Amino acid sequence: MKEQTFSKSQEGKASTIRKTFSRETCVQMTIFADPAIVWALLTRASDFPRWNSTVTSVKGAIKAGETIELKSKLDEKRTFKLKIKEFIPEKRLVWGDSQGSRVYTIDKGGGGGIIFTMSEKIGGPLFPLFARYIPPFDDSFQRFAADLKKEAESIQKAKE
Amino acid sequence: MTASVQDAEDILQDTYIKAQAKIDTFRGDSSLKTWIFSIASNLARDLLRSKKRWPETVTDFCREETLRNRQFFQEALQIRETSPQGKFEIKEHIAFCFTCVSKSLPLEQHLALLLKEVYGFKVMEIATILNQTDAMVKYYLHVGRKKMIEIFDRRCSLINKEGICYQCTELNGIFNPKQKAEEELVKIEMARDAENKSKEELFDLRMKILQELDPFESGAAELQLHHLEHNRQVMENYLEEDQ
Repeated sequence: MKEQTFSKSQEGKASTIRKTFSRETCVQMTIFADPAIVWALLTRASDFPRWNSTVTSVKGAIKAGETIELKSKLDEKRTFKLKIKEFIPEKRLVWGDSQGSRVYTIDKGGGGGIIFTMSEKIGGPLFPLFARYIPPFDDSFQRFAADLKKEAESIQKAKE
Repeated sequence: MTASVQDAEDILQDTYIKAQAKIDTFRGDSSLKTWIFSIASNLARDLLRSKKRWPETVTDFCREETLRNRQFFQEALQIRETSPQGKFEIKEHIAFCFTCVSKSLPLEQHLALLLKEVYGFKVMEIATILNQTDAMVKYYLHVGRKKMIEIFDRRCSLINKEGICYQCTELNGIFNPKQKAEEELVKIEMARDAENKSKEELFDLRMKILQELDPFESGAAELQLHHLEHNRQVMENYLEEDQ
């Protein structure tokens, strides 16, 4: 399988590294909003479908150690049961299952913005067998990041 | 906020007592009004934190219960006939409806929304009252508003012809049988201009109705508070059974 070079440089544009036993997709976006707003949007499960066009529903509490049930537009028939593996307020959130983990990070950016990064690595010894059945994440990641930016910046700009 | 006259009066009294006892600690970092509202908001939070939030379909649910409750209608008609605060007015019912439906919001969003939209506080003042950051208050306000706009747009037949709830005109027919609801609705800007305004503007007009009403002193106060107490009892029983 041909390997690709991983690049985070293109703002809002997802990139994927494909390897024999894994696949990793990443997107990065500068968001001009307070980290608390971005964190609130990422951790209020029931509110996800209102602003995020890639998610159909999220049930459960997004808190350390909890398990959530997520339905994605990528595969609406499937319910993903995901454990919250890391929960560091306004910095880092990780959820996932045995096949992979989704990592969200919030870092300080320039000019009053924050740098939001979302990545997901899936893989394992049997990955080559089922890889072809997993749809590409790139488009979904780009929409997720764009929706988050739009919603967070619209809250930030609200009248005082 | 509490949907209970008794609870609201208790909070008012406790606020007065606490403010009196702690007035020495008031340093003037905020206005006195903001300081007093932070005491009242904390008391409201303490009272409501352990209680379940109401479903957004509260008015449908309570309507069914009301239709089964003859005593409620007898009492309401008695108030209508005898009380100086027993008039039925559609705009009063719009405020009543907001009181019920807004209890479906998470508590912090509910508080923030009332403080901003009804009492006119600024974001930084609400942040002081709720002991939150400005950013979180903005988040609560934004999400709370969006949710309420979406609920009313889907439900309220005054602003959306496909809305499924028409209880205000239905009740107007019961309490004011000789009056045409259409003529009353023309007097209410939100209903009159529904087709020409955006959802945001219609929500602002709904909030304007709330800002202009005093739920304890208006000509419809006793009738609406009787109805509110009925809904509160229905919801508390329902939520208790649901546990």
